[in-house]
Amino acid sequence: MELREVASTPALGPLFARAALTQRGRGGALPAHGLLLAAVQVDRAHLLDYQHLCRFAGGDVLPHTYPHVLGFPLQVALMAGRDFPLPLPGLVHLENRITVHRRLTADDRLDVTVHAADLRPHAKGQLVDLVTEVDVDGERVWEGRSTYLRRGRGDANAVAPQSSPPMPQGPPAGVLRLPEGLGRAYAAVSGDVNPIHLHALSAKAMGFPRAIAHGMWTAARTLATLGPEASEPSTSEVWFRKPVLLPSTVELVVDDSGSRTVVGLRSGREGVREHLVLTLDVEAGA
Amino acid sequence: MAASAKPRRAAVIGGNRIPFARANSTYAKASNQDMLTASLEGLVARFGLAGEPVGEVTAGAVLKHSRDFNLTRESVLGSSLAPTTPAYDVQQACGTGLEATVLVANKIALGQVESGIAGGTDTASDAPIAVNEGLRETLLALNRAKTPGQRLKAVARLRPGQVVPEIPRNVEPRTGLSMGEHMAQTAAHWGVTREAQDELAVQSHRNLAAAYDRGFFDDLLTPYLGLTRDQNLRADSSVDKLAKLKPVFGRGDGATMTAANSTPLTDGASVVLLGSDEWAAERGLPVLAHLVDAQTAAVDYVTGHEGLLMAPAYALPHLLERQGMKLQDFDLVEIHEAFAATVLCTLAAWESESFCRDRLGLDAPIGALDRTRLNVNGSSLAAGHPFAATGGRIVASLAKSLEERGSGARGLISICAAGGQGVMAILEAA
Repeated sequence: MELREVASTPALGPLFARAALTQRGRGGALPAHGLLLAAVQVDRAHLLDYQHLCRFAGGDVLPHTYPHVLGFPLQVALMAGRDFPLPLPGLVHLENRITVHRRLTADDRLDVTVHAADLRPHAKGQLVDLVTEVDVDGERVWEGRSTYLRRGRGDANAVAPQSSPPMPQGPPAGVLRLPEGLGRAYAAVSGDVNPIHLHALSAKAMGFPRAIAHGMWTAARTLATLGPEASEPSTSEVWFRKPVLLPSTVELVVDDSGSRTVVGLRSGREGVREHLVLTLDVEAGA
Repeated sequence: MAASAKPRRAAVIGGNRIPFARANSTYAKASNQDMLTASLEGLVARFGLAGEPVGEVTAGAVLKHSRDFNLTRESVLGSSLAPTTPAYDVQQACGTGLEATVLVANKIALGQVESGIAGGTDTASDAPIAVNEGLRETLLALNRAKTPGQRLKAVARLRPGQVVPEIPRNVEPRTGLSMGEHMAQTAAHWGVTREAQDELAVQSHRNLAAAYDRGFFDDLLTPYLGLTRDQNLRADSSVDKLAKLKPVFGRGDGATMTAANSTPLTDGASVVLLGSDEWAAERGLPVLAHLVDAQTAAVDYVTGHEGLLMAPAYALPHLLERQGMKLQDFDLVEIHEAFAATVLCTLAAWESESFCRDRLGLDAPIGALDRTRLNVNGSSLAAGHPFAATGGRIVASLAKSLEERGSGARGLISICAAGGQGVMAILEAA
């Protein structure tokens, strides 16, 4: 695949604006090229801000989800491009899968590439994957696959995506309190300034009753509860269900009885509102 | 071990710390918990303790946020140690790290635990800032109020001046004097010269730089946030350069203490791995040294009877008597350089016939120390001094130095602390 190198991390505000203004008349196949951000040097101050906001221990080890934040601006740049078949506004982050091949630190120089793959029908519209791959000295060290849903005319015969394991049951292992300003705080760290996350008013304009938490913050915060093991070679999968409205209090439920740990976030009376299910598989011997 | 058996000696197996950073610099946004966790993770990796429990982890911080009430346990939970590892916090000002080591060692000696980790962390950058005392009282009154009238009365006590926060200050609560001002008085009493202090400071930098150059810290340190060496270290420090600095403590022409011969405010953390010989052998871990004995002391500095940082001078005779040793018997001596003057005043006191007779009740002076045995790998003037982290730094470094000198080599550690206290310990190479 042709890789187009970008000189520096793109600013996301203008990209979101451009994507919103050019959303009509899109279609066709996925772009044949990917984007490359070469030899990324981690900004330790940024890393520490991310670690504190998601409650990872502050230090040199890159959290499981951190490279996603480095790749996300490339995802947006690719999706904002005129040759991307789906309009960016309204895309729903449905699932995310990450594999950490080796522990990464702030000393690693990361080559980050992003490409789109697997445009496919879904019962409620269309799905597309944005694949982020991170290499150090030519060795694949991290990969992520973000699955987005474009709601629209669905295909009832579409192959259903792999479903999540059941939400763990029982009393909560913990409670997370998400403040009203969380979306703005994570936007400042991740660059994801999508208005649905920033303020109740901007979220209302987009059809949400209040601002909603960034899905990848909830995934990162959930992984942080599982300790430093997740920064070692491991694979996580997360299925996003109902968005978490801000502010709110959500319950964390954990099932570690199987070979992989299953964690859920839920809220409401009897925990009826399910926000996400996440699994973590730590490589044997890691 | 049967309760009646003679206590065994706890083994010092190794240590780990992060490089120390000058305050408000590289670690400005790192919390105590971040730094203690990073030090623990480095130790866990070095000694293969991931997923393993240890008997207990004991550490502390001097400048501590109220949210960090369980700092050490929280750091353990954020580390790769098994979550079944118990932990507790201690605080004895600058003696914290060494006192924590003694506490863990004593439990090992008594057979109450087989292994443990002792340490400390401090940040002068990410310091706790509390609400103004007046505002705190008003808010508490508001919290207690049950009726609208009571609430109104409480709110009426709010004053504009109450927005000014309480910032921790490096002063003794009972004297209002900073530690440096206290030290300046003691330095003047003992007639410690500016030149002697500057020479000690330069030696500290040279010794630390040489230790780094020969790779001494390679298995004692984990790089952190881009630092691989202590940030305060000036390998090219010289007496001529230091002579140019203006005094910062003391008054008038007699002032001798400068920013270079006093330790700077620093951020950092350190931990030490201790265990029984059996535990170490089971895990195939070599033992560097054993903790032989320890002694704390305190002085009456409030009335000016004794200098604030002179307590270690009083602890030593107890140790020497118990161990049947002389100061000159120690192969290595580590005296924490809170200030160059602290070290020099302590040494002067031990050489003084009248001090040893009148204050320590000894027949003869303790005598002079061969300075080539003092702080051979540098100390706090060069490395910096994140208060609670200094003890762990010294214990691990001394244990390794003693091991290099050969079995039976003995070392003495002396650390002064706020509140007129001092902690001492003796290590012996395994």
